[in-house]
Amino acid sequence: MPVLEGKELRIVGFLCNWCSYGGADTAGVGRFTQPTDLRIIKVPCSGRIDPLFIVKTLMSGADGVLVSGCHPNDCHYAEGNFYARRRLEMLKRFIPMLGIDPERFDYTWVSASEGQRWQEVVTKFTEQIHKLGPARKIEGPDAEATLKLMEESL
Amino acid sequence: MKNLEDLKKQIKDGLSELDVVIGWTDSFDPLHATPHFMRSEADVDKLKVDALCVHNLATYLPSLKGKKVGIVVKGCDSRSVVELLQENLISREDVTIFGFGCSGVVDQVKIRRAVGEAGMVESCEVSGTEVKLTVAGKEHKLPMADVIADKCQTCRYPNAVLSDQFVGEEIKPTASFEDGYKDLEEFEAKSTEEKFTFWLGEMDRCIRCYACRNACPMCVCRDHCVAQSRDPHWLSQEAHVRDKWMFQVIHAYHLTGRCTECGECQRACPVDIPILLFKKKFNKEIKEVFNYEAGLDPEATPPLQTFKIDEPTIKEKEW
Amino acid sequence: MKIGVFVCHCGTNIEGTVDTAAVAEAAREFPGVVFATDTMYACSEPGQDEIIEAIKEHKLDGVVVASCTPRMHEPTFRKTLERAGLNRYLFEMANIREHVSWIGRDREANTNKSVDLVRMAAAKLLNNKPLHAKYFDMNKRVMIVGGGVAGIQAALDCADGGLEVILVEKTSSIGGKMAKLDKTFPTVDCSSCILGPRMVDVAQHPNITLYACAEIEEVNGYVGNFSVKVKRKATYVDWDKCTGCGICMEKCPSKKADNPFDEELGKTTAINIPFPQAIPKKAVIDPNFCIKIKRDKCGVCAKVCPSDAIVYDQVDEFVVEEVGAVVAATGFDLVDWTVYGEYGGGQYPDVITSLQYERMLSASGPTEGHIKRPSDGKEPKNVVFIQCVGSRDKSIGRPYCSGFCCMYTAKQAILTKDHCPDSQSYVFYMDIRSPGKMFDEFTRRAQEEYNARYIRGRVSMIYPKGDKLVVRGADTLMGDQVEVDADLVVLAVGAESAHGASDLAKKLRISYDAYGFFMEGHPKLKPVETNTAGVFLAGSCQGPKDIPSSVAQGSAAAAKVLAMFAKDQLESDPAVSVVDIKRCIGCGKCISTCPFGAIKEVDFRGQPKAEVIETICQGCGICTATCPQGAIQLQHFTDNQILAEVNAVCRF
Repeated sequence: MPVLEGKELRIVGFLCNWCSYGGADTAGVGRFTQPTDLRIIKVPCSGRIDPLFIVKTLMSGADGVLVSGCHPNDCHYAEGNFYARRRLEMLKRFIPMLGIDPERFDYTWVSASEGQRWQEVVTKFTEQIHKLGPARKIEGPDAEATLKLMEESL
Repeated sequence: MKNLEDLKKQIKDGLSELDVVIGWTDSFDPLHATPHFMRSEADVDKLKVDALCVHNLATYLPSLKGKKVGIVVKGCDSRSVVELLQENLISREDVTIFGFGCSGVVDQVKIRRAVGEAGMVESCEVSGTEVKLTVAGKEHKLPMADVIADKCQTCRYPNAVLSDQFVGEEIKPTASFEDGYKDLEEFEAKSTEEKFTFWLGEMDRCIRCYACRNACPMCVCRDHCVAQSRDPHWLSQEAHVRDKWMFQVIHAYHLTGRCTECGECQRACPVDIPILLFKKKFNKEIKEVFNYEAGLDPEATPPLQTFKIDEPTIKEKEW
Repeated sequence: MKIGVFVCHCGTNIEGTVDTAAVAEAAREFPGVVFATDTMYACSEPGQDEIIEAIKEHKLDGVVVASCTPRMHEPTFRKTLERAGLNRYLFEMANIREHVSWIGRDREANTNKSVDLVRMAAAKLLNNKPLHAKYFDMNKRVMIVGGGVAGIQAALDCADGGLEVILVEKTSSIGGKMAKLDKTFPTVDCSSCILGPRMVDVAQHPNITLYACAEIEEVNGYVGNFSVKVKRKATYVDWDKCTGCGICMEKCPSKKADNPFDEELGKTTAINIPFPQAIPKKAVIDPNFCIKIKRDKCGVCAKVCPSDAIVYDQVDEFVVEEVGAVVAATGFDLVDWTVYGEYGGGQYPDVITSLQYERMLSASGPTEGHIKRPSDGKEPKNVVFIQCVGSRDKSIGRPYCSGFCCMYTAKQAILTKDHCPDSQSYVFYMDIRSPGKMFDEFTRRAQEEYNARYIRGRVSMIYPKGDKLVVRGADTLMGDQVEVDADLVVLAVGAESAHGASDLAKKLRISYDAYGFFMEGHPKLKPVETNTAGVFLAGSCQGPKDIPSSVAQGSAAAAKVLAMFAKDQLESDPAVSVVDIKRCIGCGKCISTCPFGAIKEVDFRGQPKAEVIETICQGCGICTATCPQGAIQLQHFTDNQILAEVNAVCRF
């Protein structure tokens, strides 16, 4: 079944098991209504998230990627989110270089008790992605545009 | 090079203690130099050091780990050596560094453009201000300023930052940090759409030869690069632009906080994709956020391999 | 791999907004899937039997269950697989309840999303490998942090169960908040009469080592094998010699020292034993007030001490204890109520906290059990109690109910009448929360037998008038303004996590909520466990609790520790990092970023390589994200497994 045409966009979440995945569960248990676009990939720790997963996801056609871990100072593994914060920040700053809107990627911290915050983050991020619309897909080079570019450089 | 004989003497003096010394020598034509592995005095006599010696020889060091190696380095090359030392990929006691002050190397692409693919290079003379060549009987005089590599125009570290022997006088750098990033800023001024289209076109030309990776002194994974492995299987072996583009991002990200901007990747690219831009972007951000530059201090830790509990320079999004 | 997919209805929890049959139908098309069905309750016994039968019938070697969160039932289904002879890591869960059916009502979108989540789970499963746990020895000793009633109970139960117990208490005596109380609700028993014997048991138990005046400095290791560095703060008294006779206190000329035990109601001596029933009953010098330590004069206590126990130059000492489990029982502290300008912000001496009032009521307190106004020592006639001070108040970031204030306020109103028969109590309340056994009857007694006047409404301001305080508030039941001329105002100040609790949480690597209370493993089913194996919780450190709940949790935590130690060996989680030695280039980036020191450098044919110490690795995967060539892979969360999920969700 393709993504609901016109209704949903493809948003992928990378969540740490201990805090944010738990926070998403808490939101579910509390029946905090959220948009349905997000697909969550569970990882043990935000420190496990190689920023290249995010690039890979965006280049594979996702319209948005959301990363969430434990609040700094509250990592189940003590230091994972500290490393994650630096790496994700670098990626966030790099992404516009690729011609991808930096708003398509965000990272944040949500604890297992913050069901409501999770709802808020998902809702806002989904709205943000819908505002941007579908991302350009890497289907192959745009022949016409390439030609134009080559002409310009000549 | 003015002090070439001094350098040769230094190398000869050290040769008995060393298994090999890496430098440059003449190549297939007078316009090119090639890496040169010196084991005897006769080898040393063939040493060449001038603006044609573009190769960053630090690339060879990790594969010679365990051997006593001497290496001749320009300023930019020396930063790669520092970086390799920092990452324990070579040990300080095994490496003897012959440094000098470099006034810049040529960009072969620029020469090619000026001269045209006219045929055999018969002779080539390089002075501080001029490259004089005879190609197919015709003489060309190219002002150095026209053919010098871009990276040399904005070089801030012309002298070896770390050396055991330093030959000649130090060269005073004139460029500022910002000077080195004008091209990047120009690129960044483009719209999101334009940038995307640009890379789509550029990356499609990539032939997946991995020359960029093989020339990179910091691509230390070598045979185990994730670009060609199944476990982990980051990329397919298709010739799809998506995989080529992804590879360049992998290359750049793996160099975050490690790249010394020697420019070998871009120089080695047979289809002239401006891949150094990616690395420059990461470097600029690393400098801005962590005030860090790679390849200056062998004792430093690259910013992504460490952290602070409070990061005053990272402004997180408020939801 | 032959994968079976089971899509759970969870009654109507999932089926109500997800077409589970359609999800199963779609799943049959996924790579590797040979069998897919929907099922009423996958976790029920028939549901699990159905999975086992399908594994046998269709020769499945991998199972996906689409149901609730894996944090809930992953262990259940892993056991199901094991019963069917499959390795428990050949299992994946798609969370289509908490992440789908419960957060939206659009059946079409939910069904579509569920299909995607199952596709991702199946794609990951194709990359799963069987993993096998290792077994390791443990140190069957337990450390209990905090000597309040919860910690005492946990310590005694563990010690009675035959374990060696190390009880660490921050202050100079165990007893915690309960030791400060005069009486307890709803029975009005004497608090120290019921707690005292327990404290003595701790002191006399052969299995308990008590470190008072001590704090946790550093925690290393992992479940079964923690190594805890304890700081024993300088007391300036050699406790081996001190007999607790108290002569030093009588003679100490510095009588203006802080008195935290009496909640700063009155001052005490620089050398001090906080209360007569203190355990250990040992003197401690407060260096901030000791004339000898501050100005090198005096030295009276050393002169009068019959056992020569005074050591003015004592310094902090550190001991390292090896334990297999830790119970955190650090209790609570009071919210800083001085943020409330309407209650005088701490400016009026006759506005006190309920805990101060408790000390006033106590015969061993600063007023020896007489109710006296701090300002002039007179017995009050009108006593006003204000509830929910720092509880249920979003404006100061304390939206939760502290739970026990309604009851102790009723108790204090009763005791006020007992102490001063002529007095009149007024209680301003928001709601009366009295859900325990005999609780509601108790608050009724306060009103009906002891004539306390309960006024439903908030106090808007307190201001002095002569030697009285005017308490102005609303009576929302009468729809009227009320003013009471009070002689004494007692604030039922709410509870917050103990100061410094979050520092301990970081050392123990346990989570805490926005208010600093430690997070339990599961809000319903794991109330005393944490998400860090081997660390348990007891008492108010997890959230405000009254005495019986704290005691119950103390016992529960002890039961968990005893159950863990009843095993011969512990099983290690096999989802740890593994180095592919061929790919490793020995750069050591993983070694330097591992927070646990779980990776070491080894020599392999003259080449440096990384090697993971399995029992130390906690499975965070920082190393995997750090290694550029992907040579170190966190099992069960390998690059390929995560990439498979990415590819499954981002298809062209």
